[in-house]
Amino acid sequence: MIKTVQYNIVCENKPGVLYRVANILLKRKINIETLTAHPVDSKKISTINFTTNIEESKIDTIAKQIKKIIEVIDVNYLVIS
Amino acid sequence: MKITGAQAVIQSLINEKVEVIFGYPGGANMPIYDALYDYQNKIRHVLVRHEQGAAHAAEGYARVSEKVGVCFATSGPGATNLVTGIADAMMDSVPLVCITGQVPVSVVGTDAFQETDVIGITTSITKWNYQITSAQEIADVFAKAFYIARTGRPGPVVIDITKNAQFEEVDFSYPKNFSLKKYQELNKFNQEKIEKAADIINQSKRPLIIAGHGVIISLAQNELLKLAEKANLPIAVTLHGLSTIPVNHPLYVGMVGMHGNYAVNKLTNQADLIIGVGMRFDDRVTGVLSKYAPKAKVIHIDIDEAEIDKNVKTTVSLVGDAKEVLISLLPHIKKNSHKDWFFEFEKLGKGEKRFHQKREEKFKDKITMDKVFEILSKKTNGKAIIVADVGQNQMFAAKYYQYKIFNSYITSGGLGTMGFALPASIGVQLAKPTDLVIASCGDGGLQMTIQELGTIMQEKLPIKILLLNNSYLGMVRQWQDLFFDKRYSFTYMENPDFLKIASGYGIKGKRVNDFSQLEKSLEEFINEKSAYLLEVIVEKEHNVFPMVPQGAAVDEVRLE
Repeated sequence: MIKTVQYNIVCENKPGVLYRVANILLKRKINIETLTAHPVDSKKISTINFTTNIEESKIDTIAKQIKKIIEVIDVNYLVIS
Repeated sequence: MKITGAQAVIQSLINEKVEVIFGYPGGANMPIYDALYDYQNKIRHVLVRHEQGAAHAAEGYARVSEKVGVCFATSGPGATNLVTGIADAMMDSVPLVCITGQVPVSVVGTDAFQETDVIGITTSITKWNYQITSAQEIADVFAKAFYIARTGRPGPVVIDITKNAQFEEVDFSYPKNFSLKKYQELNKFNQEKIEKAADIINQSKRPLIIAGHGVIISLAQNELLKLAEKANLPIAVTLHGLSTIPVNHPLYVGMVGMHGNYAVNKLTNQADLIIGVGMRFDDRVTGVLSKYAPKAKVIHIDIDEAEIDKNVKTTVSLVGDAKEVLISLLPHIKKNSHKDWFFEFEKLGKGEKRFHQKREEKFKDKITMDKVFEILSKKTNGKAIIVADVGQNQMFAAKYYQYKIFNSYITSGGLGTMGFALPASIGVQLAKPTDLVIASCGDGGLQMTIQELGTIMQEKLPIKILLLNNSYLGMVRQWQDLFFDKRYSFTYMENPDFLKIASGYGIKGKRVNDFSQLEKSLEEFINEKSAYLLEVIVEKEHNVFPMVPQGAAVDEVRLE
């Protein structure tokens, strides 16, 4: 079943992280519906939030794949509907 | 004292104890090559004939040396030529650091001569990549790159260095004991999970271990055996798990997957427990997922959390280094016996053998690849390192050579890269200079990287090249035979005189097409001191069996 999911990523504020996240989604032909990114605190850390419509069985796999990105510190997700 | 960025690159490699580099110079990495000129007594540079060869050679080196493979390439086409090898390393978890030159930062983004977006191109096929634009960054980035490549689930890293950074001067100091916090959190198994897994193992009546490449990477072969021996568990292997344990070990039951053993595939779907160790339930292993191991609980041991529940749902997952997990598991495992279960493997295994003999009757006194590897296996006592290319030769090498030494079957499993074997064997032979290294190639695959004969010549490596020539792209022809009504669409290949090509590179060789000469020819082949090409003309229309057709369940394995 297709679910709408919001992913929240905490990562180092460096070039290329968003590109790697987008690549993980592209490889599985997953579309991004909304996207925001902004630095927090010292500007060394950034958060990336995006929502997507995704097959239920893939939700956790995507989070784990994103977590493998070296600059990513943490990933959480929320199933909205 | 200040040194140049290029010298800092070489110093960083020396700090990482790099002994061999596979590479190719060009405009954008010339300063690095100039710096290397002064360190030829410390680092051996192997000049390949194409950058793809550098990446595969570095893979071969890394696969048997427990070290990181290193390659150099210039910008633009140099870097893009590495791509196949990098993708191969990503799929097969091989630690590589690939260092590419890049145009000066002042012209990056202007479509300068030999500029290409290496970071963009390699992002989805690297564990990490980084563009260095200032010499200041070199030491830290190299320390990080080597750490990332070799720790956790190993993989390739690309460092792209702009030319200005190679010229700039810098105070060099190399970081000591670099580490990343996220890697210390890799082991995610706790006592509770270990006990739960042990309980399931202790209660299982029909258990099956499937050992993969992770067992080799983690050097967990002894721990695996201890556990299997204690609980009397049958051990099957994936293609990359071959040579984890000797094939003559009583607990060894064979290979899983598309061309795996009949008994193992059949009984996977009768097992009540699958213990996957350092493997990823790839589609070539599982067949159609909905019909895979329907009666089994699954314990999955892997260092990569993203592999857990990706294809096969687990009952218990133990995320961590295979060796550490197995050590923790062992004290909780009870002595056990599964005699009847082993008997089923034996029974079906005998059936497969009988069927094989019957099927092969029509090839009596003809040369087929299975016979080549059977004889080779006997002549070498199973103690050569076989570097197999992709296709029929790869599967016959997997099935009919009796691997007796640890980590002695090297092939491109995940990406299935034709042309892998010849360059990879260069890396393997350099890492294992006294071992008998045999590159097994088909006529198609050999011609994809045949120029590396030049590297073998220049480096004076005693690699034995076994060319199994059927004038076809054999595996594709096999599929056309079985699934496309024998419509052999563009799989026939008009071939050159391979012996003349070898001879042009100063490599001796021989052609054999008479079965009565095969044994003697193989004997000469393995006893030759220097590089040697043995071209074996094999049966044109001969197929690899058993076979699980794509889209079928593993227990729908075909014997013909």
